[in-house]
Amino acid sequence: MKELFSPNGRPPRTTFALMIAAQGALLLLLWLLYPLRLFPSLGDVLRSLADMVTTQGLIQELWASMSTALQALGAATVVALLISYLTALPFFRPLAYAASKMRYLTLTGLTFFMALMVSSGHEVKLSVLIFATTVYLVTGMTSVILTTTQQEMDHARTLGLGEWRSFCEVVVLGKLDEMLEVVRQNFAIIWTMITLVETLYQSEGGIGLLLYKQNRYLHLDGVVAIQLVILAAGAAQDYLFGLLRRVFFPYSELAAVR
Amino acid sequence: MTPYFYKSPVLTLDNVSMEFAGEPILRDISAQVLDVCRPGMNQGQVVGFYGRSGMGKSVLCRIMAGLMAPSSGTVLVGQKQHAVAPGAVGFVQQQYPLFNHRTLHDNLLVAAARKYPDAAEARRLADSYLERFQLAAHRKKYPAHLSGGQRQRAAIAQQLLCSDHLILLDEPFSGLDVAMIDEVKKIILEVTTMDELNTVVIVSHDIQTTTALADRLWLLGQERDASGQLVPGATISPQHQYNLAEMGLAWHENVEAEPEFNRFVEYLKDEIRQSA
Repeated sequence: MKELFSPNGRPPRTTFALMIAAQGALLLLLWLLYPLRLFPSLGDVLRSLADMVTTQGLIQELWASMSTALQALGAATVVALLISYLTALPFFRPLAYAASKMRYLTLTGLTFFMALMVSSGHEVKLSVLIFATTVYLVTGMTSVILTTTQQEMDHARTLGLGEWRSFCEVVVLGKLDEMLEVVRQNFAIIWTMITLVETLYQSEGGIGLLLYKQNRYLHLDGVVAIQLVILAAGAAQDYLFGLLRRVFFPYSELAAVR
Repeated sequence: MTPYFYKSPVLTLDNVSMEFAGEPILRDISAQVLDVCRPGMNQGQVVGFYGRSGMGKSVLCRIMAGLMAPSSGTVLVGQKQHAVAPGAVGFVQQQYPLFNHRTLHDNLLVAAARKYPDAAEARRLADSYLERFQLAAHRKKYPAHLSGGQRQRAAIAQQLLCSDHLILLDEPFSGLDVAMIDEVKKIILEVTTMDELNTVVIVSHDIQTTTALADRLWLLGQERDASGQLVPGATISPQHQYNLAEMGLAWHENVEAEPEFNRFVEYLKDEIRQSA
C-alpha cells in the first residue's frame, strides 16, 4: 500500500490491479450517488445506449467512422513518413517544417478548398482528416528523427554503410517502433475531428453525426453514451497498437523504466 | 629483449590539425603506426594515444576513423596507405553502440555482409566471432539485454567483421572496475592474436593500462611557448612519443608488476602534470 504513494514506487501487480479496480468503482459510485445531477444518471445513459444500438444503428455508425478514420490514418501515415524521411535531404526540410506548422491552421476554411479540389463528399471528409492528421504526424515523426545521435550515425558509418544505408538502418529501421508510437498518439486527433467532418458531409452518417444530433437535441444521456463508446474504441485502439508494438518490435520496451 | 622488426606503416597521421569556429583543438599531430613483426609469433600490435579529459581525444578518434575531415593534414591507413574513409577503420565508441533493433547475431551479420557478400560465408564468420568472443549463448538477445562487457565484446566483434585489421577503441577502460579492465585487456590481446596484421589503437586517459598494453605510446598534450604560456590546441611533441618495445616494456605478461614499468608510468604522470 505504501508503495502506491512512494515516488517511483513499484507496487506488486495485484496491488496495482486492485487499486485500478477501486478507483473505477469509486468513480462509478460518485456517478451513482452524486447529488448534483451534472451528468445524466448511469441508468439513463445505459438505456440511451441500448436504444441507439437497436434503433439508430450505433454499431454501424461506429464502424463507418472507424473505417473512415483508419483509411485517413493509413494515408496520413504514408504521407507523413515520406515527408519526414525526406528531411534527410536538405532540399525537403522546409516542406517538413511547413507541414508541421500547418497544424495551427483551422479546418473551417480549408474544407471549402478541399471541396473544390475533390469530387465526392467522402473524399472531402477523407482529405480533411488526412490533412489534419498528417500535419500532426509530421511534427511527431520529425521529432523522433531529431533524436538520432551523432554516435548512432557514426556507428553505422564505421561499419562501412553508405549515407542512405546508414539512414535506413539507424533512422528508418531503428526508429520504426517510435514512429508507430507517434501514429498511436495521433490517432486520437482523428476522433476529435470526426464530428466536424461528418457534420459537414452528412450523407455517409457516422458516429460523429450521431453525436452531433444528440447534442443538438440536448439528449445528454445519448451524448454521454456516445462519448463512452468513443472512449472505449480509443482504449481498444491503444491496446491494439501496444500489442502490435510488442509483437513487431519486441526490443522496444526492453530498456524502458518500469 | 624480444626480437622484433618493423614493416610497412598501417596508420599515418601527417600534421593533422582541427579547429572549431577558429578555436584550435588539435595542432600538427604526426604519428605513424608500423606493422611490427616478432619472429615466430603471429601477433598484431597495440598502440596507445594518451590524453587528458577534454584534450580532443574523441575528435582525434573521429578523424582517424574517417568520420570527420581534419582542418588540415592527412590520415592514411592500410598497407597501401590510402586516405581514410568511413568504414576503413573499425571504431568502437565509448558507449559501445549497437543496433538496438537487431539481435546480437543480426548485428554481426550487418557488419559481415559488407566484406562478405556471400550470405553463407557472412553467417559462418558471424558465428565464429560469437564463439570466439564467448557470445554464442546470447546470439538471439537484443543489445538492451546484454551486460556492459558483452556489449563491448559485441561492438569489437562487429567492427572486426567489417574493418581491414585496424581497430580504434575510444576510452575502452572508462568507468570499468578492475575485473572488467582485465576482461577488456584479454579481449584486446585476443584481437591481436587473431591476425598478424591486426592493430588495436587505444585512445584513453588511463595511462597505466594503456601503457601496459601498448608497444608504442603517444602523449597528447599542450605545449608551452617561450614565455611559458600554453599554446592552444593539443599536439604530440617529439619527446612525448615512446617506443615501449625499444624500452623493453612491451609484450610482458605481467608488466604492471615490474618496477621499471612503474617508474616509467610515474615519469609519464610527471610529464602530463607539467603540460597541465
